Amino acid sequence: METLDPPDNQLVERTQAGDARAFDELVVRFSPRLYGLIYNMTASHEDTNDLLQEVFAKAYRSIRGFQGKSSFYTWMHTIAVNMTINFLKKRNRRKTMSLDDVDNGILNDPDFIAATSNGDPSHSANLGELQIKLNESMLKLSNEHRAVVTMFDIQGMPHAEIAKILKISEGTVRSRLFYAHKQLQNHLQEFIKK
Amino acid sequence: MDNNDISKLLRLKRYEQPPAEYFENFLAEFQLRQRVEVIHRPFFQIAWDRLCRFLTPPSMPRLAMAGSFAVAVIATGSVLTWSDSETEGLSPTLTQQAPAPSSPSKSSPAVQYVLPAEVVTYASARRSF
Repeated sequence: METLDPPDNQLVERTQAGDARAFDELVVRFSPRLYGLIYNMTASHEDTNDLLQEVFAKAYRSIRGFQGKSSFYTWMHTIAVNMTINFLKKRNRRKTMSLDDVDNGILNDPDFIAATSNGDPSHSANLGELQIKLNESMLKLSNEHRAVVTMFDIQGMPHAEIAKILKISEGTVRSRLFYAHKQLQNHLQEFIKK
Repeated sequence: MDNNDISKLLRLKRYEQPPAEYFENFLAEFQLRQRVEVIHRPFFQIAWDRLCRFLTPPSMPRLAMAGSFAVAVIATGSVLTWSDSETEGLSPTLTQQAPAPSSPSKSSPAVQYVLPAEVVTYASARRSF
């Protein structure tokens, strides 16, 4: 018989009652998603690892204050985004991203297949270059715009959820997205023209 | 290149993930860091945390607990200070009202005033007999 994973709120209640193992389960459950969020904002695996550790440590310290007004998912993302933005404000240097770590799952993605299916090897090479250029363009966005793009386009979160996490209106989320897409389009357009 | 192309390219970025082993080790590293943090925490902080855990309901924020504690301390302090000042305030009044045992009663103006009044009263009382 298959055992069902306990829901987040149950694990949260157990953690609040002092069960550290319940929090371990939350760490396992949320770390891949939060890793993606932080990584796409910092563009550094090293910084992401340190920040992710700090995010979970902070969440553990303040979990007794979590009253369930929002979902635990939203609460965790709020901590992660705020800590990452604060970190980026302090960090002056900007690192470039590497696509060496791209997961093999990309090979099964319909968008990737569609983009590379014309059989032209130069086309897929261009796609790789385009991805690198995209990463560079991402780094040119402001922290706030990058956060919105990461959550909406990369993580597939709805506007309402992003608005809750960033404590801004849905309209602001939409306008930031519009502006960020325009900027990315301009950067990539220049690259394509070359 | 339109907005849709940008969205498609951005969606591909979700594959930029570390290998699976990373997440297996991540929890172990987190637990280790937590233990190290506990070792380096001052004793009073650990004691405070345990007290909070023991006294408060699980969803009560630590800040609220600290606030309640601070209010309780201030309230207790105010009550103690008030009762002290009450005692101090009463003492001078009592000292003024009660005659000092060592002071000579004849030198006191109040006694000088009272004594003739009493004599007069007594004399008039005798006269009345």
